[in-house]
Amino acid sequence: MNKTCVLIAEHYTHLKWESNWIGEFIDKYFFHATISSDWFDMKISIDDNYGKPFKDYEVDITKSSKYITFRRADYLIKATLDYKDVTIYVHDELALKHALMNVYSSYIVYHNWGLLLHSSCVLDNKKAHIFTGHSGAGKSTVAKLSSPRMLLSDEASIVKITNEGIKVFNSPFRSELEASGKERPASLATIQLLHQATNNSREVMTKSDAYLQLVNKIFYWSHSKEETKQVFNLLKVLVEQVPVYELHFQKNNAFWELIS
Amino acid sequence: MKQYIKKSAYDCTQLDDDWIILNTDNFTVTKVNEVGGYCWTLLESKQTAETIRQAVQEEYSSVDDITTEDIEQFLDELLQYGLLTHEV
Repeated sequence: MNKTCVLIAEHYTHLKWESNWIGEFIDKYFFHATISSDWFDMKISIDDNYGKPFKDYEVDITKSSKYITFRRADYLIKATLDYKDVTIYVHDELALKHALMNVYSSYIVYHNWGLLLHSSCVLDNKKAHIFTGHSGAGKSTVAKLSSPRMLLSDEASIVKITNEGIKVFNSPFRSELEASGKERPASLATIQLLHQATNNSREVMTKSDAYLQLVNKIFYWSHSKEETKQVFNLLKVLVEQVPVYELHFQKNNAFWELIS
Repeated sequence: MKQYIKKSAYDCTQLDDDWIILNTDNFTVTKVNEVGGYCWTLLESKQTAETIRQAVQEEYSSVDDITTEDIEQFLDELLQYGLLTHEV
């Protein structure tokens, strides 16, 4: 059995696995961390040879007095109710990535720490700027056009939400653009809702419209009223502190003139 | 006359001048204006479109042209979103 400790945002996570490809996946996307004690925020054991290839995003959730399980055609997650002790069974790499996102999102919501937002996030002058939108709106296009700025995410942004401030952390849940290892957390300055257009323009949204648009950009598998309430509350704190804009942009980097 | 009541005690949260009804059963949100938010608070107990119209006119003196049909339309919309139930 192989094992390591990785740091996801502020959470020390102990990972345990058998198959080589899982180790390669961890080395590619995650940053190893050393910890002096045996205390971890999360312990995740990963096993493969489970299920079938990806079919759809449908996740079946069941809960007992001790465990919660998330079952998809290509993965199965069995977690204690506080998500501190987790076993994941996966079919392949895509299943592993999605299962880890499912676990991490559930962990940060349960602990009222923050949200995992379907978006890319770019650093500019040490401030984080999030770009989100419907599928195909241009989240990864914007991430590529923003080079040489550093990216905190190109698919799922890890957003820590407190009344004292909103911070974005480097995300290991990436699709195309790998992290360099030099990324540091940054305070979130703006959120953009993307629309591809022939001209660049940016208008601030009302907080209620921003709330409505962002609610379905959160990676969250709803299963309890209490946790859903936490998601709603975290999102409210987010839109109260960070301005959200509609950004109409051309496919070049000139839209940055409207942001920085 | 039809009577309406909240299906569940969903919270309603204020953001600037708007209110958002938070459906914790199916993870959806519905935006209403301030008067709509006030109507939502009344629906803790059974209401008809007429009792709501009267309450709105008492609370908001500026809203003097609201009709029972307007309220009925609003309530039917909330009904469609699964936020209310009604009894005939």
